[in-house]
Formats: sequence, C-alpha cells, structure tokens
Amino acid sequence: MRSVRRMRPIMGCYVEVSATGARAELGVQKVFDVLQWAQQRWSFQDPDSELARLNRRPGHALTVHRHTIRLLSLARALMLRSNALFDCTVGGALVHAGHLPNHTPSLPMPRGRAQDIVLGADYAYWRRPIQVTLDGIAKGFALDLAGRAVRHLGLASISINAGGDLRVWGVHAVPVYRRELDATLTPLGALREAALASSGVYPTNDALSDKGNFPAHLVAQPGCSAAPGVWSVLARSAWRADALTKEAANAPTGQAAARVRELGGHLLENTQLLSG
Amino acid sequence: MRNPIIAPLVLLPMAVSSLSVQATEFMTVSQAQTLLFPSAPKFIARDLTLDDTQRERIKAATGVRQRNAQQQVWRAERDGQLLGWFMLDEVIGKHEFISYAVAISPQGKVIGMEVLSYRETHGGQVREPAWRKNFQGKTLADPFKLDEDVPNISGATLSCRNLLDGVKRLLTLHKFYLSNA
Repeated sequence: MRSVRRMRPIMGCYVEVSATGARAELGVQKVFDVLQWAQQRWSFQDPDSELARLNRRPGHALTVHRHTIRLLSLARALMLRSNALFDCTVGGALVHAGHLPNHTPSLPMPRGRAQDIVLGADYAYWRRPIQVTLDGIAKGFALDLAGRAVRHLGLASISINAGGDLRVWGVHAVPVYRRELDATLTPLGALREAALASSGVYPTNDALSDKGNFPAHLVAQPGCSAAPGVWSVLARSAWRADALTKEAANAPTGQAAARVRELGGHLLENTQLLSG
Repeated sequence: MRNPIIAPLVLLPMAVSSLSVQATEFMTVSQAQTLLFPSAPKFIARDLTLDDTQRERIKAATGVRQRNAQQQVWRAERDGQLLGWFMLDEVIGKHEFISYAVAISPQGKVIGMEVLSYRETHGGQVREPAWRKNFQGKTLADPFKLDEDVPNISGATLSCRNLLDGVKRLLTLHKFYLSNA
C-alpha cells in the first residue's frame, strides 16, 4: 500500500503528515491546504486574518466563516465550563508582555470574560476591547478539519504531528514519545484514532528553558502560576486535547486530572512531577 | 456544552526503542525536483558562489546570515525555456538540522517548497515507559497495525521561524543574483 510522508512549516511549527492508501499523495496535500487555510484565518500575527480583524475592531460585527464561528463557540464554551482555566481572552496580557504584536491603536484589556465574545449565525464581535487568541485551540481544531476533509479519499490511515500535537486516524497505531522539560523522552504508548497534545511549562528562571526556539507562552490566572511540567492530554478530537492541556497546566494542585476528565479528556501522568 | 460520552481512551503498549534523535528522510534532491517542477525534464546545476561582500549584502537586506559561500541552485528548463529555479538549503539550529528546497518562478515568487530531511536532537535519554499507567486494560476488538517507521514526539514546539527566514533569504538571493541569469 502506498505510503507518503511530508513536512511543511505551518502555524508556526513543523507539521508532519503521513498517509497510507491509493490516494495518499492527494491526502497529504489536502491536509496541508486545510492547515494553511486555517493559519490564514486564525493567526493572531497576520493582520489580514479574520481573528486580527475582529481584534482590531471591538464592538463592530464582522462577517466571518462558519468554521470561525464554530471555533469561537468552542473556545467560549470551554472558557465558561473550565471557569476560565482555559482563557482565550489573554491575548491582551501577551500583548502587554510583548509576546504578541499590538494591532490596535491603544493598549487592549489584558483579559476579559467569555461573555465578551458575541456570536451570530455568520458574524462575530467583542463587547469590549479584548484581544482573543486562539493559540491554545485553533491548531487542534485545524487538525480535526483536515481529517474530515480527507475522509472521502478512503485512506487506510492518516496521521498529523503539528509541532507536538498529534492526531491519528485509521488502522495504524502510531508510537508516541513525550519530550520532558529536561529533554528526556518518555515512551507513552501507541496512539490510534485519537488526539494527543502536550504543553510544556518551565519553572520560572529555569536555565533549561529555551524561549527563543520554543516560544509558546502559557498565561495563568491572576494570582496563580502554571505548574511546571509537561502536560499531555488524550482526547477524541484534537481541539479538545489542545485546549485541555492549558486547563491542566493552570488547574489548582491535584485537580488537573479531574478537571480534564470532566471536559472529555484524559490527562496522562506527569512523569516530571513524579521524579526527584 | 454537554459532557460527551466517549469510549475509554487507550494508548496501546508498544516495544520501546532506544531513541534520542528524531531523524526522518522525506525525499531525495531528485525527487524534490520532480515534485516541485513536474513538467521540467532538465535541471541544470548553476551553483551560486558568493564572496564576503555579497554575503554581507544578503545579511543587510534580510537580517538573516548567509552561512555558506556556496549555494546549490538548479535551473529547471523545458525545451530551452526557464521554468524556474530550484534552490537547496539547510536550517542549522541549536536543536534542528533541516534540509529543504524551494521552487522559485522566474519572476521571483515561491511556487512551492519541500522538506527533504528533518533531524532534531536534544541529547536526552529515553525514560522508562509510562504507558503502564495510561493503559486502561480495555481489550480492543478492532485489528490494528503498529506504524513503527517514525516515532512521533509530543511536547516542546520547535518554532519554524528559522525555516521561514531561510525561504526569505533564498528569495533575496534570487532577486540579487539569479533574476537576470
């Protein structure tokens, strides 16, 4: 059976796609096309993306794609259900800290509430000058979209590794390792018909952290700090796995596993916390 | 959003291989040439040799260092007509070594790009398997096959910034030294 494996730089990371089947080449290309499309719509940095246009004009209803409505709806619902442990309105805080560009004439609010996001059938807007960032959920959502887009091709299997966020469909079980903070690799098992996402949080002032090459920033709730470690979540869909790693990292001590389970995921044991 | 009822998720147990380097070969130079220029039967080597002044000019224009004095370049031709340029390059970072190619049109636009090989090293050892804790003991009814070709790593997200900067640098090389060739 024909097997194709390719890699592209998309969504700020290296995305590797493997497909098996008669139309594997087409499947791989289609996946990259969908991810590229997603980047163009939901990139915070790209001033022409739908997200950037929404961030630039709070209070003004803008017509957006139905996938954008769906993605915002999931982000907002998760923010509500997780009591803001997952918070897509922290874009402002990241702008203040200089980690994200400021597309607005004045400094935005550092964070907002889920209710600030207003969604219609084909439009959206923010009630207040917040900055929504979809970094913690859009990548996973794009992976799910990509999988749906190639379903009709009848591939035996297809798997995507988007900078450490994994989504696998079909007959193959894919061996997975987790990269810990000290660069060791933990074999986790083989993934099949599911998604696995990991978020790494370095202890502050840690010499191991290499922010230049690994630029993800996790914003905790006010008064709290994200617990150090690599948080891995298993779920049926990639958007959920992606978003729940943020919730796990921000959850109060000892509550991460329960919180993740409540929202439909499974938290993998954090080997970093077990050692020493 | 109601709580979805899902079948218990499992990670399947697997044999552990000794692994500290993630290295994947995607394609050869020749395969990349055919993929990026499917209608070009001829690829003529036209390597660029750059002196220090030319390399500094690239750095000044792009902010990206031109590491090598030699840049591997091919003209893609059909019946004597130039279809575009195939440029081979590497990203050499602290943790990554990536070989890639870019196809540039005669007008200086990127037609396509392919990663030829990817190698990521962190020098870490492999720990004991954690899967025992994650395995929920459910018997699987479905048949499955283990895809052992390339292990997948979940975790730290390596930025592709270096690769995107490389493409920008290649476009500038084309603009300065190939567009009139």
